[in-house]
Amino acid sequence: MKKNIVIVIVVAVSFLHAGCKKFLSVDPPYAQDAENYFQTPDDYDRALTGAYDMLQGSFVSFWIGEIASDNAIAGGESVNDSQGLHQIDNMTHGGVNIELRNIMRWNYTGITRVNYIMENKENIDFPGKDHIIAEARFLRAYYYFELVKFFGDIPLIVDKRIGIEEARQLPRTSKAEVYAQIESDLVNAAAVLNPVASQKGRATQGAAQALLGKVYLYQEKYTEAAAIFDEIRNSGLYSLIPNYADLFSASNENNSETVFDIQYSGLEGGSYGCLICLEGNAAPGFQGIRQYNGPVYGDGNSYNLPTAALYSAFSAIDQRRGHTVLDIEAFIAAQTDPASISYAIGAGGHTGYYNNKYIKRQGEIGLPDNDLTSPVNYRVIRYADVLLMAAEAHYKLGNTSLAQQLLNQIRVRAGIPGISVQSINDIYKERRLELSGEGHRFFDLVRTGQAAQYIEGFTVGKNELFPIPQVEIDLTGGNWNQNPGY
Amino acid sequence: MKKFLLLIICSLVTSVFGQKTASGLLQNEKKEPIPFASVTIKGTSKGVKTTILGEFKISIPDTGNVSLIFSSVGYEKQEVLVKGADPLLVTMVQVSKSLNEMVLVGYGSASKKELTGAISKIGGEELEKLNLSRMDQALQGQVSGVNISTNSGSPGGASSIRIRGLSTFGDNDPLILVDGVVYDSEGLNALNPSDIKSINVLKDATAGIYGVRAANGVILVETKQGRLNAKPKIELNSYYGFQSASRKLDLLNATEYAVIKNEMFAFGGQNMPFNNTALGVGTNWQDSVFQNSPVQSHNLSLSGGTANTRYSLGVGYFTQDGIVGGPKSHFSRYNARLNLSTDLSKKLKLNSVFLFSNDYRNTLPENGIGSVLYNTINAFPNEPINTPDGNYSYLDEVSDIINPLAQIANQYNWSWADKFVGKEELVYEFNENLSFTNRYNYNYSQVQSKVFSPLAWFGPGKYANTALNAALESPLVEIAPDVFIERGASVNEERAGYTDQTFESYLNYDKTLDSTHRIKATAGVSVFQRHGEALGGYAFNIPNNSVEYADISANLAAGGFLNNVYSWEFTERLVSAFVRAEYAFQDKYFASFILRRDGSSKFGPNNRYGFFPTFSGAWLISEEPFFKVKWLDYWKLRLSYGVSGNDQIPNFSYRALLNGEGVYVFDDVLTQGVAIGRPSNPDLKWETTGQLNIGMDLTFWKKLDLTTNYFVKNTQDLLFQPEVTAILGSYGPGGYPPIINAGDVSNKGIELELGYHSDPKKKLVSDINFNISRIVNKVTSVPEGVDYIPGAAFSVGGDVATRFEEGYAIGYFFGYETEGIYQTQEEIDASGIIQEGAQPGDLIFKDQNEDGKISFSDDTDKTYLGSPIPDFTWGFNVNVKLHGFDFSANIFSAVGNEIIRNYERQQPYANQLGYVIDRWVGPGTSDEHPRLTTGETRNNVFSSYFVEDGSFIRLKNIQIGYTFPKNWMKKAKVESLRLYVAANNLLTLTRYMGYDPDLGSPNALSAGVDFGMYPQAKSVMGGIQVTF
Repeated sequence: MKKNIVIVIVVAVSFLHAGCKKFLSVDPPYAQDAENYFQTPDDYDRALTGAYDMLQGSFVSFWIGEIASDNAIAGGESVNDSQGLHQIDNMTHGGVNIELRNIMRWNYTGITRVNYIMENKENIDFPGKDHIIAEARFLRAYYYFELVKFFGDIPLIVDKRIGIEEARQLPRTSKAEVYAQIESDLVNAAAVLNPVASQKGRATQGAAQALLGKVYLYQEKYTEAAAIFDEIRNSGLYSLIPNYADLFSASNENNSETVFDIQYSGLEGGSYGCLICLEGNAAPGFQGIRQYNGPVYGDGNSYNLPTAALYSAFSAIDQRRGHTVLDIEAFIAAQTDPASISYAIGAGGHTGYYNNKYIKRQGEIGLPDNDLTSPVNYRVIRYADVLLMAAEAHYKLGNTSLAQQLLNQIRVRAGIPGISVQSINDIYKERRLELSGEGHRFFDLVRTGQAAQYIEGFTVGKNELFPIPQVEIDLTGGNWNQNPGY
Repeated sequence: MKKFLLLIICSLVTSVFGQKTASGLLQNEKKEPIPFASVTIKGTSKGVKTTILGEFKISIPDTGNVSLIFSSVGYEKQEVLVKGADPLLVTMVQVSKSLNEMVLVGYGSASKKELTGAISKIGGEELEKLNLSRMDQALQGQVSGVNISTNSGSPGGASSIRIRGLSTFGDNDPLILVDGVVYDSEGLNALNPSDIKSINVLKDATAGIYGVRAANGVILVETKQGRLNAKPKIELNSYYGFQSASRKLDLLNATEYAVIKNEMFAFGGQNMPFNNTALGVGTNWQDSVFQNSPVQSHNLSLSGGTANTRYSLGVGYFTQDGIVGGPKSHFSRYNARLNLSTDLSKKLKLNSVFLFSNDYRNTLPENGIGSVLYNTINAFPNEPINTPDGNYSYLDEVSDIINPLAQIANQYNWSWADKFVGKEELVYEFNENLSFTNRYNYNYSQVQSKVFSPLAWFGPGKYANTALNAALESPLVEIAPDVFIERGASVNEERAGYTDQTFESYLNYDKTLDSTHRIKATAGVSVFQRHGEALGGYAFNIPNNSVEYADISANLAAGGFLNNVYSWEFTERLVSAFVRAEYAFQDKYFASFILRRDGSSKFGPNNRYGFFPTFSGAWLISEEPFFKVKWLDYWKLRLSYGVSGNDQIPNFSYRALLNGEGVYVFDDVLTQGVAIGRPSNPDLKWETTGQLNIGMDLTFWKKLDLTTNYFVKNTQDLLFQPEVTAILGSYGPGGYPPIINAGDVSNKGIELELGYHSDPKKKLVSDINFNISRIVNKVTSVPEGVDYIPGAAFSVGGDVATRFEEGYAIGYFFGYETEGIYQTQEEIDASGIIQEGAQPGDLIFKDQNEDGKISFSDDTDKTYLGSPIPDFTWGFNVNVKLHGFDFSANIFSAVGNEIIRNYERQQPYANQLGYVIDRWVGPGTSDEHPRLTTGETRNNVFSSYFVEDGSFIRLKNIQIGYTFPKNWMKKAKVESLRLYVAANNLLTLTRYMGYDPDLGSPNALSAGVDFGMYPQAKSVMGGIQVTF
């Protein structure tokens, strides 16, 4: 009898143990939260929208791409305002930098939102799910690419959310592994995504291919890069629009040259307290002319000001000069009543030039909010960029004539004569002229090894990467090494 | 030496094959059974142990005279000759009163002698005597290491029970189990203290048998049981009493008020409000608000037993009106109880408990800004209660002070609860060593509440107005453009149901291998589920603005607009397995090991299960042969260390919420998506406490018991929402950090209990108990990025005055330290410290950071100003009996705690306390109380000026009774009759100015902040106890 009872107890305990897990996973009754979501196709679609949302924080990355380079200075009201940008401008940045922290936080939030979908991708099956997953993969590749460009090795988290304990265990994953994940996501995405988006704003096959090509180029995988760029070129879906002047207006968005844009809306206001909450583009307001009172433009905060060196890099007949850099004094002098036009100079720096691609213009001001709500999209990848990247890849592979042909398509559109390509520098130079003000310059200089040559204060072996914010190292238990030199 | 008492009562004995059986009951002088005592046949080694009920049965040779020897530590050895066949009733004499007392230890019991942990036990009779409605009130001052402070003195008001300090800014309440059923602090209203047989407080790590719920200590309550072979006993216990306010504040009368306000306004450069200051005494608001009110209690019980059944049942009624608001601040309770144990067969026993209660409570706004007493303190004495037209006066000048009598008149707030609690327990005894217990416990309570908000008008601009104007017209609400509807009187009703179910199954093994080894073991499983659900609603436009129609069913809201319903529901579960192994060697060395594994639905999937081990041991030095100290009868050393948890964290905190923002632009349209706001924390777990206890029990001269403990209790893994790493992805729009475990708290303390028990056979019987505890509480770490957690605010919209901060006690007070009063401008100039706006008569603030400037815009010149946690608490209880008279007194005291005086509305017209008469009016007039002005002044920022010493000594209960001689009563067929008079809170010694220095809060960060606490009443009672 005694034995029987012991057996009963043992059986009961093991039964309880087995049954425990289920017994203890209690869902909140009649309440939907993140742990019991993904029941309908719509749920996936809404979560995907949430994952797209984090793209809208990319303006900081574009600022740094310009300000860290020889293209622009930080500007603004004072050197203490947006201190992080000023430090980056002067190459004096270190482990305490709010802008870099935002880059890290926002991109990882984007990744987390994608991983949340991927974690639940097997919940239900429905037609079109593969497309949602493909878009999600595109987004994850985009966010990881941003992080790897800034910080090099970064913790790689795929298809799951992590807890605080796991976060403390995670090492920095090598750049190569992160790139492999990015490539795999983009290859998958490119295979599934439609050539033409079902809705304006969604990632297309071309967008995935172009981003993949760029990722190859960053790794100097020229063969793969050239092949994928040729696929885009041969698709017949993209072409340069005739007039460079039409490229950056809100009214002419999503045209034949658009490969991927971040979409913004002018319909919802916001506050300086939460820039990531905005639905409008913050950059045009920030980059606007300080206390400007006059025609064409609106008043702004004089951030991200192009340098005289950039202005003088263009030839006078290059159509792109005026559409890239606004010479404020020349512009005022050309107006009918110059005396009536006024503007102020911020203590954060003044060059006399403004970013004329993304600037607050009358007619493009958001309805509820004058400063932070611009409807102007950010052009992440234009077809011109694809052509220049293709030229670079082919040149590296020895196909100089094709490179020259591609490059000259760009020059002709800009109203300047074609050239005979003598060196890779001709392509690099053209890249700067075509794409300056769009956030590419610093990363191009770094990847092509020219940064020290062009950027004052740039230390080789250090400034190729930005430091991981020290507080982020501390918050994960101090296990990560800081990037070299910081 | 004493004569051993031997009583024999009749029954039968069977003789079989030359053997016969001797059976009987072993008890002490208090007629309590003595379990696990050894019974041996003289001259042999043959013996048995008594059962937990003190019963024994032993086969003895059927030849000649046989003597049985009874022995048990703590009792004098006794030899009894078996004469005839009758069952024996053997009474043993105690060496020490308490050593053989059985104490509940969780899934079993142990005698105090064999205890290895720090467990205190209080008998029900000691609590019942205090004539209090709640167990927690009665427990105050009874047990060392347990500090009980009163959250509210209103009828049915709860107390905060803190066992060995505060270990979290979250829930510090201990686990309270009544016959194995969980009761929370609120639920204690349902428990009649008269039904309690004993309260066992598990203070140290040996509470770890309750694992993840044990970190705040465990209180095991058992209800009264009957006794075997006892004839039915009927007991009636009734009392009736009157309550009154034990103290009123010294407030200004109308004349003093007018003089002081004139000066204040003049100082502020304004016109003086009173041309005539001869206003007499004016209105004494306190006299009009406080009243005398009755309290009464009646309990009738029946208990007894047959040869195999024990029963105890009772009914009770308690009712109490408040000293503020009378019937509007009311508590009453009906109770019924049945505790039945019966032997279903020789080996199978049923224990069944059923408790029913119906309690009902009315409450007024209390213990906060806007409470009745807050308004009473601040109401102007020059204003009459009623205006000549019979309406309540408006107290026009301050918008957030309303007429307290009007407030009481318009307050309708009921709640009532029906509670069914029970236990069905089957115990199968394989043999005298092994038993198997299976039980099902349940607790169903239905809690209902109703709040009626009539249209009321307290004066122009008052915050509490619900009506549009003095004519009590309804306000209009625009429900659509240009569509207005009336919002009349409203009612809010809620019905909430809670069902707790526990199934427990465990084995108890207890065997003495030979005279040197004893093994006890317990192993079992427990499954617990709590389910709660509620439905509530608001309805508007109650007819006639009358409480007579205060029900949702009566509402006349046009089209049902404005009316609203809500509901909620939750389930939580706990699955546990536990073992306890105990070993005793020669009854001198004791060792115990406890391991519990808990799985809880509250925690994240990565940390759903926890192991909680405890080791403990004891050494009975006085049993050693080398120990020969005559005056020291008993000396035991104890040591325990273990880990336990606190699972009282909100349900589902580990889960991610979809409260983030995820909006993107597709086809130029803002498209709503979904995003996680607060991310999940799959690692979320309990707060973990490791506790070390070193203790000692001593008995001197057979009369004096001393128990002392030193403990160190470290709690970690408190719940925070601090900054977290970016890689968790919680910093998008609408994002919050997850709730994580971080932060540590330590409690160290020493406690001492001293008891003197005189010889019960002498004419003068006295029983004196003293206990004292010291606890040092300290926050030892907070997570990175968190400086402190803010607690209670000072005054209306004022600074945060209490904090949870590293290096300090939980809820310590933080503000400016004052150093007297600036007497002259020269003194200000000469001080070398810039204190912005300082004028003669202003408080001098100490420049903490010594930068030559008092900074009012940040915290740099603020400092520690005190703590609500007492340095010491002590209790003193005395019981004396002589010739049928009995006297008892019960004193509780807290020493060294501070209280923030936060009930003064710092508005020009608000009434003030009498101390302002001694204010500064010119150089040399006061170095304590600053000048009064309506102008700009920093005298009202939170400073040590508003912090008072909260130490007090209180005579909680004093009682004189007389028990009529038995022989008189016999004629009236009454077993005993006792009459008594008693008084509660007759005397309180304190320097604190407020109503009541015994001031607790369920929120650890609001303790010691006095908003005009509803004080405990002083009551005088007469009672009768009759037994048939």
